[in-house]
Amino acid sequence: MMPGWLRALLPLLGVAGLFAVPRVTGNEYVLALGVSFAMFSVLSGGLNLVYGYTGLLSFAQVGFFGIGGYTAALLVTERGWPLEAGAACGGALAALVGLVIGYSSLRLSRHAFAIVSLSFALLCMIVARDWVSLTRGAMGIPGLPVPVLHLPGWSWRLSRPADFYYLLMGFAVIAQTVIYLVVTSRLGRAMRAIKLNEALAQSQGISPLSYKLLALALSAFLAGVVGGLFVFYLTIVDPSIFDFYYTETMLIMVIIGGPGSFWGVLGASAVLAALPDLLRFTTDLRMVLYGAVLIAAMLVFPGGVGGWLRRRGLRRWRRPHPATP
Amino acid sequence: MTPLLEVTGLTKRYLGLTAVDEVAFEVEAGTVVGLIGPNGSGKSTIVDCLSGFQPADGGQWRLDGRALTGLPAHRIARAGLTRTFQTVRAYDELTLLDNLRVAAQERDGVGWLPSLSRGPRLRAAEKASEARGRDLLATVGLAEYAEAPAAILSYGQRKLLAIAAAMMARPKLVVLDEPVAGVNPTMIRRIETVIHQLNAEGVTFVIVEHNVDFIMSLCRRVIVLEAGEKIADGPPHLIRSDPHVLAAYLGQRRAAELEQRHGSSLSPEGERAG
Repeated sequence: MMPGWLRALLPLLGVAGLFAVPRVTGNEYVLALGVSFAMFSVLSGGLNLVYGYTGLLSFAQVGFFGIGGYTAALLVTERGWPLEAGAACGGALAALVGLVIGYSSLRLSRHAFAIVSLSFALLCMIVARDWVSLTRGAMGIPGLPVPVLHLPGWSWRLSRPADFYYLLMGFAVIAQTVIYLVVTSRLGRAMRAIKLNEALAQSQGISPLSYKLLALALSAFLAGVVGGLFVFYLTIVDPSIFDFYYTETMLIMVIIGGPGSFWGVLGASAVLAALPDLLRFTTDLRMVLYGAVLIAAMLVFPGGVGGWLRRRGLRRWRRPHPATP
Repeated sequence: MTPLLEVTGLTKRYLGLTAVDEVAFEVEAGTVVGLIGPNGSGKSTIVDCLSGFQPADGGQWRLDGRALTGLPAHRIARAGLTRTFQTVRAYDELTLLDNLRVAAQERDGVGWLPSLSRGPRLRAAEKASEARGRDLLATVGLAEYAEAPAAILSYGQRKLLAIAAAMMARPKLVVLDEPVAGVNPTMIRRIETVIHQLNAEGVTFVIVEHNVDFIMSLCRRVIVLEAGEKIADGPPHLIRSDPHVLAAYLGQRRAAELEQRHGSSLSPEGERAG
């Protein structure tokens, strides 16, 4: 076990290291990997909160991500809103939609929620493609302008790749901090209780629906905001933002990292965010490979890295204390 | 004085079958009441209805004068009626201490935002619940495993943990659903001691059991159900010789035979409901 001060220091060093990257290298490829990691870490962190901690299998994250992207893009281009307001609005709308689909399906069962979330993600793509008057259809909204972020006493024009690196990494740090605070608080403890044994939690006065909606709304908000920021990095938003590729990638990150393990999922996000570019030579095979990895992980590595660590901890307890009847 | 729990006309139907039929009973504060009956007599259905895990089709129940009819399970728990489960339940991945702290956190009045900001109110509440958790773990004899995940516990130990968890939020009434089913004799005596001790501290119990000896030695009052109806209600020595109870457990003919020979038959070493 690490001493306490080192455990507190390591994340700070990690953040400082990440923010030093653009100063060390201007390499756009490295910065693009960083942006991809930042974006995916928010999506997978939110999915971990909903699935890993609260036990709700959700395919809706990509829907929230895209809703945030479209909302921010439309508000900035059509209404001339500043980026931060557009992205915040995208997050709020995503959270609202999350509450609506959660409230309507969670009172039935977890399975109903999983199916509704999948239908919702597919529906988002259809709406984006076919509601042409709002979303401009399959062509999407290309050529998003260089956004300006208005911070107190400072307006920041995001014209260089490094600017987007700082922006997305900065938001990822905030998002991960919020997720960490939730999962290590007793709210997170209640969420885990609901996942581990919902009836027992109910019998102890915990309202499962409230905590599920909290996890869902929070993860939808974060996914919406990161979607709103990410589309300006892409400079385009079109129906492919609802692509199944995002869902599959964040699922793999959570499952390899270990559902319910904050650091496991964050680490897996870092490794797997770099991977698609290493696999660039097989763009067509990438989804097949992901599918194979997902199935293999389920079969031979259930619980992911986090689960493996937990099983080791269990062995430690079982050895010196032989169980009495 | 009004009773702690007051149940009237409790009814539950599954399609055409009436599993619980107009059952009424009262539980006085500070007592240990047994609820027994052959398989399928409606014991567990009553527990599920009273604790909000199944909607009742009729009837009312009040805890300490407050109507609980129709409330969802978590609200009934917050009102002070907690329960354990026949199929023993625990949060395997959480430590024993966390298993207990979860059970208290919805009743200390600290909301979501203070829980996140970790201010002094939250710290005081969590400290109090940790102290109570350690006390209860000591009572049930699991103190040395406080920091271990619940997954390491044996079946009987999990039953003890479940009883401790049901105590955490200082409930007014605890319903134990088969606390000793499938538990070895040593552990049964341990559980019996724990229930005695907690009762002496003022906790009221309703115990549903198949193990008649356990109920007879623990409860000063026993309610007997058969086919969804209450057929007897009284102190154990009267229940043992009640002709309706004998008929329910042993069948009409055998009960009549025993009646002729001995006068009574649910003997301590004797027959148990399967």
